[in-house]
Amino acid sequence: MKVSVLLKGYLVKYFEGESKRVLCFDEELTIREAVKVIGIDPESKSLGFVAVNGMRVMIDEPLKEGDQLKIYPRISGG
Amino acid sequence: MLGYQNKVLRINLDNKTYSTEPLNMDWAEKYIGGKGLGIKYIYEELTPGVDPLSPDNKLMFMTGPLTGTPAPCSGKLAIISKSPATGTILDCSIGGHSAIKVKYAGYDAIMFEGKLDQPGYISIEDDKIQFIDASDLWGKGSHETEGILADKYGTDTTILSIGPAGENLLPISCINSDYYRQAGRGGIGAVMGSKNLKAVTIKGTGAVTVDDSKKMVRKIAEILREDTTTEDNIWAYTDGTPGLVEACNDGGILPYKNFSDTTDVKWESYNSESIQANKHGKKGCGSCGLGCGNFTKIGDAICEGPEYETIAGAGPNCGISDLETIVKFNQVCDDLGMDTISASGALSYAMEMTEKGIHDFGITFGDKEKLIDYLYLMAKKEGVGADLVMGVKAMAAKYGGEDMAMHSKGLEFPLYDPRGSWAMGLAYAVSDRGGCHMRSYPAAEEVYAASIPPYTAEGKGKLVYDLAIYNAVKFSLIFCDFWALGLDRMAEVMTLATGKQFSEEDMNQIAERVIHLARAFNQREGFDRKDDTVPKRILNEVLKSGAAAGQKIPVGDFNKMLDEYYEVLGWSKEGKVPDSILSQL
Repeated sequence: MKVSVLLKGYLVKYFEGESKRVLCFDEELTIREAVKVIGIDPESKSLGFVAVNGMRVMIDEPLKEGDQLKIYPRISGG
Repeated sequence: MLGYQNKVLRINLDNKTYSTEPLNMDWAEKYIGGKGLGIKYIYEELTPGVDPLSPDNKLMFMTGPLTGTPAPCSGKLAIISKSPATGTILDCSIGGHSAIKVKYAGYDAIMFEGKLDQPGYISIEDDKIQFIDASDLWGKGSHETEGILADKYGTDTTILSIGPAGENLLPISCINSDYYRQAGRGGIGAVMGSKNLKAVTIKGTGAVTVDDSKKMVRKIAEILREDTTTEDNIWAYTDGTPGLVEACNDGGILPYKNFSDTTDVKWESYNSESIQANKHGKKGCGSCGLGCGNFTKIGDAICEGPEYETIAGAGPNCGISDLETIVKFNQVCDDLGMDTISASGALSYAMEMTEKGIHDFGITFGDKEKLIDYLYLMAKKEGVGADLVMGVKAMAAKYGGEDMAMHSKGLEFPLYDPRGSWAMGLAYAVSDRGGCHMRSYPAAEEVYAASIPPYTAEGKGKLVYDLAIYNAVKFSLIFCDFWALGLDRMAEVMTLATGKQFSEEDMNQIAERVIHLARAFNQREGFDRKDDTVPKRILNEVLKSGAAAGQKIPVGDFNKMLDEYYEVLGWSKEGKVPDSILSQL
């Protein structure tokens, strides 16, 4: 299953400074599991929210072939 | 307590005299400074029911014990009065360098009373106070005014001024400083205008004494290194608030066309990357370790920012995606001295009213030329502009469309749709100065951190309370909103600056006191539960698009959140502060 992953803000460090990558997974998995594969601790307070295809979703949602997953660091202020 | 100058400068505009008096240290111990101490002075000194635009209203500049020290994010000045827009208490904070100059001039606070008989400005240079004619400045924009005064007094003098919007007493006018920084909301500029006070120039050559400077500098270095200039905060430097455009769009809270829906397919036209592509420079306030100010220049349009609120307000909420128009809108509002949130809110309401055929304001969504042209009409109260500057509450009372008037207590909504962040609706409803995101910002938890489900009333009263506690302390010490450290770290810095031992629990108690006192002011003016509400659109109309599609805040859930908020604070079901608490304030 191919998923396009976009890391926001300083999370790009998990892709060696790149913001986008297409990741291939052997089997279906949840966003939480994908986040772990990328190297980000899903329980970290530095992790903000996740969005699939431009819409915020909960982290335990499953991913589908062709999804665009966006991972935000925690942000505040406005 | 150290950290204070122990001096208030009181300026009587009626007879052009001034005096100094000791800061009330009993009050300072209970309310610290900034928002809290300013509200205490205004609460004690204003007659209930006073007309906010009469000479009997007062205008106070208030610093805090950390102002002028190297404590990060401590360069903000609180400006407190009674709001001409809402009739509530009003405290704004303004970045730049003005707070530090007030402190270095030897004052904790400056209180302006009465009214000048002719337009004038006040020059403050340490203990030398001058009343100067401003007839040649009256009518000029804030940028030109500041430029003229900067040429006269030099760059080591800070200037606070109003534009034509403040002179013409608009309830959507602001006070400007450092050209591009504003005390923006609630018509604070009109209070200054009502006093015929065009500007205040301040130069200070003094310093601030703290209890343990060596320990404090070491602590500040540690905070800067470990907690401020860190990965978690670096977005404030790299992106600033424009980074919220994408997050709010994905999060389902970016308002579109006067909150008729959320999300915009054209969001990439005005997101952080688009702004970075037109970046023209950087700027930070005094005592700041983050430097969030980004200058953007497109064609002839230039501004510091635009910040998220201005982008979303003049952009998608007005059906506009052209970044140059948004930058121009920001630039013109700054120069005219107009609050970008309320100005764009009035325009988006007018656009929807016109499109729905309820009243023809002559402007529809996406009309980027009129968006700018109307600002000039508004500042001069000419033609349709005279209606728009009343604010959406008064416009709806005159022309109808109450459900489309997005405000709480007469203050236009910031740009987060509460249907995608229910606690945000409660935060707007109970904010002490009307629809505002700076008193409690639960979108950070419900959306950005996904730490709590957004579409439930459960626990939201407590959430809004917890975040209001945090902000009440933050704005009383007084820190910038980007100070991201907990009450424990605030207590540590306060202890080192003042020499008085502060604990996290002390910070908590001070914050509660500030919230109670702001509420007590509004209660005295007749506000209660009936005023703690949001427009029916939020309660009745479901969103059609985005992550929060299908959502509204059902009335029962809204009331449940409100009940819980009152209960946590110990207020009555009607939202009244009981006598047992009032007597302790």
